[in-house]
This record gives sequence, C-alpha cells and structure tokens, in this order.
Amino acid sequence: MANEEWEKLKAALRKPVTPEAMQEAASAFSRYQVVQLAKGKGSKPTLVSLGRGKGYPNAVPVDKIPEQLATNPQFFNLMKRVVAKEKG
Amino acid sequence: MATTVLMSDHDLPTRSASGFILKYIAPRVEPVQLFSVFVRRTPFRLAAPQSDIIIGVGHGSETIFSGHNEAVILEVGKYNSREVEGKVVKLLSCQTGALLGPDLVKNGAEAFLGYVDDYVWVMDSDLATRPWADTMAAASLIPVVDGLNALLDGKTAKEAFDIELEGYTRNAEVEEDELVKSCLEFNRDNAILLGDLEARVRARPPLPLPFRLVPPPPNLVPLRR
Repeated sequence: MANEEWEKLKAALRKPVTPEAMQEAASAFSRYQVVQLAKGKGSKPTLVSLGRGKGYPNAVPVDKIPEQLATNPQFFNLMKRVVAKEKG
Repeated sequence: MATTVLMSDHDLPTRSASGFILKYIAPRVEPVQLFSVFVRRTPFRLAAPQSDIIIGVGHGSETIFSGHNEAVILEVGKYNSREVEGKVVKLLSCQTGALLGPDLVKNGAEAFLGYVDDYVWVMDSDLATRPWADTMAAASLIPVVDGLNALLDGKTAKEAFDIELEGYTRNAEVEEDELVKSCLEFNRDNAILLGDLEARVRARPPLPLPFRLVPPPPNLVPLRR
C-alpha cells in the first residue's frame, strides 16, 4: 500500500512543473504519509537540506510537504530530483 | 598540523549535522574547532593555513560555502590559496562540489569531498537539543562520520569516500521509509571526490578507552523558531 502510493508520487513528480502536477504530487504524498503514519512513528520528522539561497525552506516538517509540493515549484523540483531521480 | 572543523549551528539542518560532528569527530581532533557563532570568515582565515584537513558543516551553493547565519567562509575566487593548499577539504554542504570544489582543487587543495546537488535528510526536530540521539538523521549522517573517521585514521581520500558511499547504500537497503531511502540514495549519487584520490592526512590517534566512556556533549540551547 505504501509502495503503491510512493509510486504514484514518483509518477506525478516526473511530470513537468504545472499546477496540476504539483497538486497531484501533493495528494500522492499526503496519501503515502497517511500509510506511513499508521506505522506509529511518534516523532516530528522534518525534511532538511543544507542549501543556501534556494526558493524553498531548509526545513520542511514532513506533514507540510504536501503544502510545499502544491505551492512551491522549486520545492517540487527538489523532490523531483530526490524522489524521481530526475533533473529538475 | 591542526584540524579545522567548522560546525554551523543556527538552524535545524546545521544543528543536526553539526551535532553528529560534535559528538563523533570533535573529541578525536585537536583544535581549532569553530562552533556556532565562531564559524565566520576571520577565524577560518587564521586557522585554515595551519591545518592539514578542513571539515566544514554549513549551508552552501555552487560557488559559496557559508558558516554561522550564512556568513561566507569560502567563495570561488575570493579566498587566499594558502587557506586550502595541500589540504584535504570535506564540506558537508549543498552543491559545493559543482564549482567551489573544483576551484579549491585548482588552488592547491589536495583533495575535495563534497556534493554536487543538495544534501538532504530527514531529522527529528524534537531532538534539536541533542541531535546526536536522532536515529532518523543518523541514517544519513553516520556514513559521513564513518568517512571522516576513516580519513582521520590515515586512510586515503578514495577509501574514505568509498566508506561513506557504502554506508548510504547499506542504510538504504534496510530503510523502510521511502522518503528516507530516497534521501540516502540522492546523497550517495551526488557525492563527489576531486583531486588526488591517494591524498591522506596525518593519522589521529583513535579515542582511547576512557574517552569512549565520556558522555555526549551537554544539551544545546533550543533553536528559536
């Protein structure tokens, strides 16, 4: 189930940056996250990076990733590189 | 020769990464260790020429490595080659492998280890006051520590680089969380080693037994959110 949702996220991230693709990726990540949270992680996971002067925050709580994916093209591009292994 | 260690500590990612260096690397190297507000250009400029290895944690871009509150430490074309000549330089930072790393090697650095894209990982922000206890961040940062310890054991830059890459691969294979796994693979694929693959630094003695029993550093002050 988790893997299925993750594959959907990858597929969305492989699309060119459009509002529709960003919304699709955000929804896919939200669904993936629901499955992951069901495993009972009791912490505050945060995606962080050591970038300087980027168009996205250096720290994004995992539960805020869908919001960033839906609204921030630079963050969408970062996730495209990290998750879908494609150049943004 | 001394070791120059720069540990920026002004936000969550720098706190997390520097926490691991503070716990696992700092105890086995002699000063100069620049931590938090001391990670600035002037202290670095004074310390670096006396060192055979420079270890830096901070935010970066293709052309800049920065310290506390983004103070520029190294920028392409804007540093003295004495600061890097004959040294092994490891920068745990984003994208410095693209242009800054090659520039450092061109200006005499013996070897450069860094990353050509962002360095990303998942950390537990509830553990910001004791980042070394963060097992989620450890998946990505312990391979860095292992690579650095290999360098400080006297292994070559290539051997240390391979140890770091193997660490990412090993951790990715057993990781259940797809996001963490993707980050590990991403960091591994973007790691880069430039310059002399056989470069070595003077071997530092391993931590003697009593030091292994020393508790971790005291809790750090909470970050302002």
